Amino acid sequence: MPPARRAGRSRYRLALLLLTAVTLLSLDFRGFGPIESAQSGVRDVIQPVTSLVDTVLSPIGNAWNAVFRYDSVEAENADLRRQLDELRGDSIQVEADRAAFVRLQQAVDIRFGGDIPTVAATVLRGEVGNFDTGVVTIDKGSSSGLKPDMAVVTGAGFVGRLSRVDRTTSTVELVSDPSLIVGVRMVSTGGVGLGHGVAGRPKQFVIDQGPGWPEGGDPTLLPRIGSAVVTATGSRYPAEIPIGTVADVSTPDGLAMVVTVDLSNDVTDLGFVSVMIDVAPDEVPLLPVVPSTLVPIEVDPAQNSPSTVGGSTP
Amino acid sequence: MTSLRVALVCVIAISLQLTVFVDVRILGVAPEMLALVAILAGYYGGPQRGPAVAFAAGLLWDVYLPTHLGVSSIIFAVAAYAIGSVEAGLFRDSRAQLAAVVVASTMAIVVSYALANEILGERGLIDTRMLKVAVVSGIFNGVLSFAAAPLVKWAMAAPRGASSGAAGFPMARG
Repeated sequence: MPPARRAGRSRYRLALLLLTAVTLLSLDFRGFGPIESAQSGVRDVIQPVTSLVDTVLSPIGNAWNAVFRYDSVEAENADLRRQLDELRGDSIQVEADRAAFVRLQQAVDIRFGGDIPTVAATVLRGEVGNFDTGVVTIDKGSSSGLKPDMAVVTGAGFVGRLSRVDRTTSTVELVSDPSLIVGVRMVSTGGVGLGHGVAGRPKQFVIDQGPGWPEGGDPTLLPRIGSAVVTATGSRYPAEIPIGTVADVSTPDGLAMVVTVDLSNDVTDLGFVSVMIDVAPDEVPLLPVVPSTLVPIEVDPAQNSPSTVGGSTP
Repeated sequence: MTSLRVALVCVIAISLQLTVFVDVRILGVAPEMLALVAILAGYYGGPQRGPAVAFAAGLLWDVYLPTHLGVSSIIFAVAAYAIGSVEAGLFRDSRAQLAAVVVASTMAIVVSYALANEILGERGLIDTRMLKVAVVSGIFNGVLSFAAAPLVKWAMAAPRGASSGAAGFPMARG
């Protein structure tokens, strides 16, 4: 075959491939169901192979970690011991607070995440590529009753949501991913807002939509540093799941409030998680925002007084 | 038979990417195994067969990435076509030269992938980390190419009777 004809034919083939890829891309953008099912099917077919390869070759990864991550593991160990000491000190206070919280819930009949059944799962792997830093894969899938958008937690709090569910595995989009928006409530003020992770800082979370900066910057109306942040009622996830603690409060323009939160979970080092078997609503209900979600407005006399920025203190 | 061999190579590559190279990383960067297969497919298969194999490798990789299906396929296919189209005279059959081609191509693929996804609405891909990923994964792939090249060469071997590739150079070089 003459070279010119050969080159023309290869260009024609390339054009066909590109056209196919663009078609797939546009179908994927529209969330075309069969495409997602086909992807899930491919992952399910390959999963036994990767599982076998993982079993056979895991000593290589372990040896690599032992050699090149020894220092960081030692530092992590020391940090965990320090945290354990702190937790022992806090446990009595937490126990008392929890008892009071349960009594209050029973009194006002508010659903709590603790009542929702969970499925325990093991984290199979972290990010597989070089740009997907906000995901992990767990060893439970649709065969265990999991569905997309379910909340994933640990004992320390919110981890993320199920973004992709295959038959035997699922992908979790972590709370540290900037594209995951979470409805949250700041416990010290009762203020609600929307927050997301920060690129390149997997242990931080920023609430930058919702609460306004109080007039005159009255510090008593700002969330207290170190106070808890939890998922809000009306978010896509069960309410009252701990997100983290307030680390900093600032305003970029004197109008909006930006709250930096230290995440309660270290999402860079997850071993086991629990998936809350609770179907998320398709859309966030467009109800008026109640400043305090702990105490209903009709039984909270503080709500009848002139409203304050960020809501009342429960 | 060639299709089966290519499928086997792709499955080996994705399995290693999903297992060993989740842990084995340099400066937090993993090699790009499927990109390596695509580059070597272009190198050994020429502009006619290389892009098809690269497209399949990209599609398989897209299935596991959180970004949109088809992005890696486009980039891999174009990269394989470009590599396969380079005149035969430019290549001397040395392993060092092949490694250099792999390093440069991997870096180009990583940058293209980040750019394409930013255009498609993903955020936070173009920053200094992208440059680190491009350089480290390029070098990583360059080193791995010494082991991967014979495997891809075997998978891309022409059927009996076909003596030369589309660009006019022998199908199995190196």
